[in-house]
Amino acid sequence: MNVDALLQQFRTDLEAAADPAAVEEVRRTHTGKKSPIKTSFKELRNVAPEDRTSVAAALNSASETITAELEMATKSIAARALAAQLNAEWEDLSMPGQATRRGARHPLTVVENRCMTVLRRLGFDLVDGPEIDTAYYNFDALNIPEHHPARDMQDTFWVTGGLLLRSHTTTVQARVLASKPSLPIRIASAGRVYRNEAVDATHLAMFHQLEGLWVDRGLTFANLKGLLSFIAKSLYGEGRIRFKPKFYPYTEPSVGVDLACALCDGEGCEACHGAGWVTILGAGMVHPKVFKEFGYDPDEVSGIAFGLGTTRMAAQWAGVSKVKSLYDQELAVLHDLHRPPAGGSK
Amino acid sequence: MKISTSVLRRFVEVPDDGRTLRNLFDDIGVEVKRHDIERGLFTLELLANRGDHHCYIGLAREISGRTGTATCGPEYATLTSGDSPHPLVIETDLCSQYSITLLERNGPGTDLSADELAPLDAAEIHSVSPAVDATNLANLEFGQPTHCFDADTIVGPITIRRSRDGERAWPLFAEERVEVPAGSIVIADDEKILAIAGVIGCEESKATKDTTRILLESAAFDPIAVRKASRALHIHTDSSARFERGSDVSQVLVGAGRVVHLLQGHGWSSSMISGVVGSWTDEQRTIALHTEAAATFLDHPLDTAEICDRLGRYGFKVAESGGVLSVTVPPHRVWDVEFTADLYEEIAKSIGYNDTATNLPPVDMGALPSAGDNAKAEVEDVLIGAGFYEVFTNGFHGTALREKLGVSEDHALWNHVQTTNALDRGYGLVKNNALAQAVEALACNVRAQTSPIQMYEWTRTFHPDATAANKVCTERHLLWAIADGNIEPNRWADKPRHASAWLFKGIVEEIGTTLGIPLLVGPADAHHPLSDCLHPGRQAAVTLGGKTVGVLGEVHPGIAKAFKLKRSRPVYLELDRNALEAAPTVKRYAERSMHQPIMRSLAFSLPPRVAAGDVVNLMMNKGPEWLEQVDIVDLFAHDDSGTPMRAVTFSLRYGNENGDRSADSVNQASEALIAAIESALGPKGVKLRA
Repeated sequence: MNVDALLQQFRTDLEAAADPAAVEEVRRTHTGKKSPIKTSFKELRNVAPEDRTSVAAALNSASETITAELEMATKSIAARALAAQLNAEWEDLSMPGQATRRGARHPLTVVENRCMTVLRRLGFDLVDGPEIDTAYYNFDALNIPEHHPARDMQDTFWVTGGLLLRSHTTTVQARVLASKPSLPIRIASAGRVYRNEAVDATHLAMFHQLEGLWVDRGLTFANLKGLLSFIAKSLYGEGRIRFKPKFYPYTEPSVGVDLACALCDGEGCEACHGAGWVTILGAGMVHPKVFKEFGYDPDEVSGIAFGLGTTRMAAQWAGVSKVKSLYDQELAVLHDLHRPPAGGSK
Repeated sequence: MKISTSVLRRFVEVPDDGRTLRNLFDDIGVEVKRHDIERGLFTLELLANRGDHHCYIGLAREISGRTGTATCGPEYATLTSGDSPHPLVIETDLCSQYSITLLERNGPGTDLSADELAPLDAAEIHSVSPAVDATNLANLEFGQPTHCFDADTIVGPITIRRSRDGERAWPLFAEERVEVPAGSIVIADDEKILAIAGVIGCEESKATKDTTRILLESAAFDPIAVRKASRALHIHTDSSARFERGSDVSQVLVGAGRVVHLLQGHGWSSSMISGVVGSWTDEQRTIALHTEAAATFLDHPLDTAEICDRLGRYGFKVAESGGVLSVTVPPHRVWDVEFTADLYEEIAKSIGYNDTATNLPPVDMGALPSAGDNAKAEVEDVLIGAGFYEVFTNGFHGTALREKLGVSEDHALWNHVQTTNALDRGYGLVKNNALAQAVEALACNVRAQTSPIQMYEWTRTFHPDATAANKVCTERHLLWAIADGNIEPNRWADKPRHASAWLFKGIVEEIGTTLGIPLLVGPADAHHPLSDCLHPGRQAAVTLGGKTVGVLGEVHPGIAKAFKLKRSRPVYLELDRNALEAAPTVKRYAERSMHQPIMRSLAFSLPPRVAAGDVVNLMMNKGPEWLEQVDIVDLFAHDDSGTPMRAVTFSLRYGNENGDRSADSVNQASEALIAAIESALGPKGVKLRA
């Protein structure tokens, strides 16, 4: 019984094994029931008794060696196979990712939603109204009688039947007041408005507004300013704001809210055309004539009305200088507004 | 209005620093559109209701109201009402006061000085002649429009009256006579119209450099009458701008006096007696004001003395009686001050809008988005998740767009609500459908080589309807989406997946699932207005509760061609927004058996025009109750003796609630289904695939 030869044969076979299957074959050949070593163990009984102990020890040692070397070989082969597999499975991950790309809400909707988030904290509900409306709700009920210069401020699209395309969302406020809901009234209206203007990069025949109305007993000018400050700071952060007198036919007193230019903080710079401030809000206390028109006693109730030019806000926040591009349905623009350029762009 | 800082200083003290003055203008509600720092010039945008701001004295008064510094004005001759230098007749009450003053020149006269002309220079008004320059100056300084007639051109008395039908006048600078709108206020003599009141003088009576006798007109006209005439004639002048906003009748002789004063220094003389007609009297409007209420409204400590002081700066007179203030409105403010709220505004402006208190009123509870708002957001999430971008289109379009749809005059999409005064031809029709603009938007993106194109919009369409509440139209709120191109271009490793009607069918299914409403995509609805605009073989109706609430399909190739889409096959989806706000009705979850269901597959060959959905419906109807679900899991096209066939594999899920469903019973059920389908659809060419 030549244990050394047996071991030698095992090592020769193992060395020739190049993959896990071959190693497994060597394992079967050299450790299976009919393997040389198992056969040798069976033949121990034929060994002379005086030699049997030493031969058995040699066989045990050889068996352990075979098991250990097979283990090592298995691990080594597996490692090599894994390395080869990994090498073969290299992917060029510089290629674009393959998840379905999300689209996006229009910047105007984003702005509108942001505004409504702020207003809902104050209890404002969003209400809707017709886009084709009467001159009564668009003008007369709002203290803009026929031939008043204020009608020039809102050149109007008239349509068949003597109706008009609303020139502001204040029509919705008028309709709510006409419906005489219980106090307090806290509503916001948002949507398209129309102006009969020649369209260019900065003038649109259709754009968006968002307006709010708060009617209750005892609302004051200080409340108006408090509300406007809250809205401005919620939407624009803690930048400086200022109030200035304005004229709106349906409010008295009327107020404009300016935000300090982010670059010059009100000092005037090239970016803000020297103004130092950007108007973000128009507002005022509801005009007594408007209240009277709808049967409210202006000595009993007061109201705060305000409007946000959501189109201009969207342009400002998106960094778009020509508001018309927001309405051009150019997906390339909307795409660029939504996500940064893919790799490879400069 | 363009003004000079140095001229303004003649009327009121203002800050030396241009930036501080600019801020002061903002503070009093006068918007600065442009500031020429070097020349000290401001271009101002004035409030639409403040005619009194259209002059230096008006701006000075506003600044004084805020700063408390006194105002002063340039000199003017004191004219008195007396025997008219020319016969005057007034026949309309639309002129509350009309005056004429005679000025005569014996020698050549001299031009106004550069210092006197400074306001004109700032306003970029060219010097014409001393007389015309003086009238322009009086308007800029005092806000009182005046006009010079050459007295020697006037025949008979000067009459202030309404114009008659067909009457014509020759306005200054016009090339020919124009018809004056009937009922306008005109100044006329026996032969001609001398001026269209408040708007413009006329050529035939104008003062020239050779004129030696001037009849100086200074008057106050009805704002609306002036405005109507100005708009009808398309003539807009500084005078009309002033009168349209309501002039200060008390300044009629002051303005004329300023002209007289200026011309007296340059070779002209006057008797200082003016002819004045008209029924104006200072109405002395008073408004009651409670000090405490004002203090509460502004949340600012106020006493009577302070209110008197602040309102006094603007020209209001305040008297106290029994704890109530009686505030008299000055003539230059009768057009815009009527209510106590107007006085609150004056006091607030005087204090400074930024110097009164700021106080957010208490709010008991916030509001939640409505169910409709939530539904909209959820639908958007579905679309955005599928790669769609939101866009906005106009509410109107031109007739050219309608033509591209190719609809005839009897088609539901032919009639539109129309705009009657649109400046742009492209805005003539208020849209009655969203498809045309959607395809147009898509075509623009195709031309820009953008791909894929996936857009959606929440919009509304307008449908002529004489029975509507407004007797003109109804408005329909809807969602549309359009798609074209390889909708997953980033999946570069896979085959291109082009937008198709199935994309929108899947989206409708997802919307239905998300909202919990049973939206179904079924056979096309021939009554839908868009039915003719979609591919007849590739469109479907979206129904909810048996009612059509939308449509989807491929845009009709004829329409695509009209929009010059050569290779594009856009697909379109439209859904009624109201339907999306329906209450959820779909049961979201049914407890599943702990035992595995038993699955079987059946494949059938379907000839053209036999819908796979019909096979599914048939299986569900004919199968046993425990046939829980049938899904289409595979499809491939093949040819059967020249007939193009589709091999469709259906996956059948048989319930096994108690775990005792035998394979035999399932197989028998499947065999019964095969028989049922072959019986019902076999005559149409449906065959079981082995």
